[in-house]
Formats: sequence, C-alpha cells, structure tokens
Amino acid sequence: MAVRPDNRLLDTPMQEVTCRRCAARVEVRKGSWHQTSVQWNADALTACEERRAATAGPGPNGDFFEACASLRASIAEAATSGLIPVLDDGY
Amino acid sequence: MTAVQDRDGIRRIEAEAAPARFARGWHCLGLIRDFADGTPHSIRAFGQKLVVFQGEDGSVNVLDAYCRHMGGDLSQGTVKGNEVACPFHDWRWGGDGRCKQIPYSRRVPLRARTAAWPTLQQDGMLFVWNDPEGNPPPADVTIPRIEGATSDEWTDWRWYYTVVDTNCREVIDNIVDMAHFFYVHGSFPTYFKTIFEGPVATQIQNGVGREDVRPPAKEGQPKLIGNTSVAAYHGPSFMIDDLTYHYDNMDLESVLINCHYPIDANSFVLQYGVIVKRSEHLPGDAAEKLAIGTGDFIRQGFEQDVEIWKNKTRIDNPLLCEEDGPVYQLRRWYEQFYVDVADVTPEMVERFEYEMDTSKPNEAWRREVEANLARRAAAEDTPAAWAAGQSV
Ligand code: FES
Ligand SMILES: [Fe+2]
Repeated sequence: MAVRPDNRLLDTPMQEVTCRRCAARVEVRKGSWHQTSVQWNADALTACEERRAATAGPGPNGDFFEACASLRASIAEAATSGLIPVLDDGY
Repeated sequence: MTAVQDRDGIRRIEAEAAPARFARGWHCLGLIRDFADGTPHSIRAFGQKLVVFQGEDGSVNVLDAYCRHMGGDLSQGTVKGNEVACPFHDWRWGGDGRCKQIPYSRRVPLRARTAAWPTLQQDGMLFVWNDPEGNPPPADVTIPRIEGATSDEWTDWRWYYTVVDTNCREVIDNIVDMAHFFYVHGSFPTYFKTIFEGPVATQIQNGVGREDVRPPAKEGQPKLIGNTSVAAYHGPSFMIDDLTYHYDNMDLESVLINCHYPIDANSFVLQYGVIVKRSEHLPGDAAEKLAIGTGDFIRQGFEQDVEIWKNKTRIDNPLLCEEDGPVYQLRRWYEQFYVDVADVTPEMVERFEYEMDTSKPNEAWRREVEANLARRAAAEDTPAAWAAGQSV
C-alpha cells in the first residue's frame, strides 16, 4: 500500500543543505522559523561527526541521536541567508 | 497522482481497505503473570486463534489454537505436564509445536507438527514474533530492557487491556499528532520532536500543566511544573515512554508502555502499563497508589482516543497544516513492517527528523486556557468549583 505524498511538500519541497562541519548533505524544509524537517540518507549519517561521537543516553529509549548541533547551525544559516525558504515569517 | 480535489473544489477523503497482512515484529501479548496459571489461554491475534500456556517447567508457549488432528480448540483444553492437551481427543502438544503423545494410540503419526510462535519473555511481559514470511526473529531485532521493571525500587506493572474496533494504524498515527494532545488529552506540549530511524520511532515531548484541566496545588502540596518524556516505538507495536513529572520539590519518574497486537484488519487489543519509581517523597505504599492513579489517568487518555477512533474515518490523504506533525513520513516508516524484508526501501528506514513549531500553537492554547478559566470564574466564582470539577 503506497503511502501518499505529504500535501505540504507539493508546494514547498525539501531542499539540500550541506553541513559546514562534515559536509554531510541532507534534505531540509522549514515550515516556519521554529519548524524543521531533516531527511538524512546513509552517506550523510556516516559523514556526521557528532553522530559518530554520540553515545547512548540513559533509560530504555536512550539509544538514539537527538540532533547534530553543527547541522542545526548550518540549517539556521541557510534559512537566515535565504538559501532555503522559510514559509511563515510571522514568528 | 490521484485527484483528491473535484472540479467543485471539494477535497475528497480517500482510504483503501486496511491491509490484510499483519506487521512483522515482536508484539506484546500481555504480562507473563496473567498467563502463568496452569491453564491454556485463548488469544485472537493476526487473524487467527492462538493458545498461550505455561508448562510445568515454567516456559510460556504460544501455538496455533486449532489442533491438527480434527481441529479441536487447544485453548479450551488443559495443561498436562509441559504439554497442552486437546479437549477433543487428548492429543498432547509441546511448546515446540510437536505432538508428543496420543494416549490412545501406539504412535504419533509423521508430520504431527503445528505452528509454534517464537516468544520472548522479558521484564514481566510476554512477546510473540509475527512474520508473514515465516522467518525467525533476527538476533538484532529486540525490545530494549526496562531496568525499573525488575527492580525493587520501582512498583510492579499496573496493566490494562482493551479491545478497539479499528485498524491499528490509528494508534500509530497519534505519536506525531501534537495538537491532539491538547484537544483530546488536556495536555500542553511546549516542545515536540519526532525522529524515525531504522525500526525505531522516537517522540521527544516536554509539556506544562493546564490549570483549566487540573486545579493548582493546594498550600503545602507539591506543585506540578511540567513533564518531560522520551517515548519510542521499538518496531511496529511496542512503545516505551520514559516519563518524568517535575514538581517544585521533586521529580517523579515513571515508565509507561503503550502497545497493541492486531486481532484482525479492523480490530486490535490495546494495552498500557505503568511502573513508578519509589522515592523518599513517596513513603509507604504511596508509589503503588501513584502507579494506580497514573494508570487510571492513562486509561482516561486512551478512552479519549478510543472515542475519537470509534467515530472517525480512515484517511489515507490527511490534509495537513504546517503546525501538524509528520503523518506521511510516519506512515512511510510504518510501511517497513508490512512488506517483505527484501522490499524494505531506504526511505522507510532512513533517518528523518521533524521538530515542531510550538510557538503558534502555544499562543493559541494559552488564550484558550485563559478563556476557560475566565468562563469558569464567571460561572462559579468559588474555590468549591475546583472540587466539583475534580470529582467528575
Ligand atoms: S482434534 Fe485435537 S485431539 Fe482430536
Ligand atoms: Fe492520544
């Protein structure tokens, strides 16, 4: 059963952003200044330095990687410089 | 692409029938203690009938319920030694699926073997492995251990079962649905992020209490400040929620389970469980009481979901706004459990992060909370109103 496309991506698709630290290339979309989607692929995951350095946190769900701070900064930069669109600038 | 908008400009809801296939993965059937009474238990799951029984050796086994002799129902039989005996002609079936003995016959016929379902007993719970391709569970497909479940520093499981008459995709959808936590459950999320990677879907959620739902603490009582939670589905049906309530003078740690197994394409058994960590702030049996209270609170939450599910329609093309969660990407992740292993595509398992915008929703919700409080103050205007509000 094929999953349908996200209606929000029809108007504004994901766009490539490169991490300034490790050069990982991911797909990004910002529905607003506070909203961020990041689509990784296998190459980007291998490239990410913070990811490689990460260790599992406590608790039964602790073994996950929350975010790469360098990538987050690169995305913020791409958004403020207008490299990727930010849909709602009301906030 | 299908047209969801007719010429009249009206968007159409589309929905294919729920899949006839059941998800590959470990499914929790319930607490081991609920099966460990020396009798066979009848379970309807994955479109079939199963029998769960504990042999004298203590092992808990899951077999197809229907006896391969003449179709008797083993779950109506009895446990004899380490075997389940069919009520029809007393054939004895072992936990490995083999017929061990036919008391009235000289020998057991060849190929006297039924389906034995792989099981996992962990942290007080019984899991069964479902794989439409018939493969055994790979060693790296596991359920994480829950430390508190076997520790004296935590309470025992408080556990609930309920049958829900809809396809189980509905319960999965909810983990990315931030807004419903406000509108359906009376919570107030202030931070919300979901991450899908491999077979795990993680939801990180922080929230604050709602004064229009729960009255402010009385003098001398701990004041609830907020909650932080990391909840994750490990596979298609088993979610662990590591949930901490923050009070002004203490933290209250709990672990919640939200899991299900499908009965058929259009119904499932929903289960939820809770354990609470004991602390100096919870003397005597206060931790047990709290676990019970928390469990009842979660039950109310699920009843609110069930009420929605009972009346809503299945929808394959939800119309999402920017402040909604990644419903489509979640379904893409979920799809990996419904195709053969060879057909799992990178998109289903590659890491996807979605951090929600809570600024706009929080602004609207704060206004709504204040309006609710103002309405109540105008209508009742006495502290007694809180007590009345609490009792219902
Ligand atoms: S049908 Fe089960 S023993 Fe005959
Ligand atoms: Fe819900």
